[in-house]
Amino acid sequence: MIRGLIILLGFQGAGEIISRLFSLPVPGPVIGLVLLLVFLIRRGKVDAPIDTVASALTKHLGLLFVPAAVGVVMFWPQLRTHLWAVGVALLVSVVATIAVSAAILRFWPGGKSSS
Amino acid sequence: MTPALPIAEIWVYLAGSPLFALLLTLAAYEAGATIYERVNRHPFANPVAIAVLIVAVGISLIDMPYAKYFEGAQFIHFLLGTATVALAVPIYQCWSALRGKVLPLAMSLLCGGTVSILSAVGIARLLGADVTIQKAMMAKSVTAPIAMGVAERISASPTLTAVFAVTTGIMGAIVARYVLDALRMQAWWQRGFAIGLAAHGIGTSRALSIHAEAGAFSGLAMGMHGVAGAVLIPLLANIIF
Repeated sequence: MIRGLIILLGFQGAGEIISRLFSLPVPGPVIGLVLLLVFLIRRGKVDAPIDTVASALTKHLGLLFVPAAVGVVMFWPQLRTHLWAVGVALLVSVVATIAVSAAILRFWPGGKSSS
Repeated sequence: MTPALPIAEIWVYLAGSPLFALLLTLAAYEAGATIYERVNRHPFANPVAIAVLIVAVGISLIDMPYAKYFEGAQFIHFLLGTATVALAVPIYQCWSALRGKVLPLAMSLLCGGTVSILSAVGIARLLGADVTIQKAMMAKSVTAPIAMGVAERISASPTLTAVFAVTTGIMGAIVARYVLDALRMQAWWQRGFAIGLAAHGIGTSRALSIHAEAGAFSGLAMGMHGVAGAVLIPLLANIIF
């Protein structure tokens, strides 16, 4: 488990360094994701220590959003004046986004047949 | 010495250490996850939303400022970056299933991402929200840590952007099933990709709890949207504003 954590943090760190070194617009963790993906593809398998930590983290991904999300409620007073506009914009937008991206996949040639 | 003093001292210690914020966050999430399981993972019982409510009520009751809470909870927040890296694993596991799907996935990402921005900014503008709010809507479908970085580059408020991103994630996790059912979407990879694209990490969390393949494609969409958004949203912001 510790070994898996070291590997993941290592890739995260490498991503951070690359992101800062070349002042890329893409944040470190996303570069770390790409690096780890390339590593896994070249290696051809997921080693048990990586799998253990990665499944624990992705299984409880929602928990990791809680600290930032509590900020939502703290900004409530400021948002209240525009509550209607913000609420409608976010809701319609997320519904439209899901619908459009799903519809494109479905109606793309061959999209319906493949499972 | 009054007996109340040691308790007060202990409380001062607890409130000053990360222990309280960590414990509250973990317990609130555990409660949210338990409720979510009890109601057979009904989308409206979103565990993140429940946990946020409990924590928010909790810290308001004891008058703990958000900054103070975050000081302790930042250890959990930090792992968001590590979890982003860890998403490479579910993406790798569906890598062979990607063959022949790259083009439709890229098209879906491009169109979905554009619709996400134009609809949010457009409606906000139409309903009279000010420019600060409109700008913060630009990156709201991108996962929170990336959205905040993008917000800085387009001179939008990172905090407000994060607020919109998290709200979008929760809304998306709740409504996705109904939208996808209405469209009669059946393939798990298509359902997952659409959720991850629109509702990033919180949507992916929901997708992972429903179906492994949906979760993997949701993670893939979140990653792709993160990378594409970081590069393209600043360009689009220049055109819109």
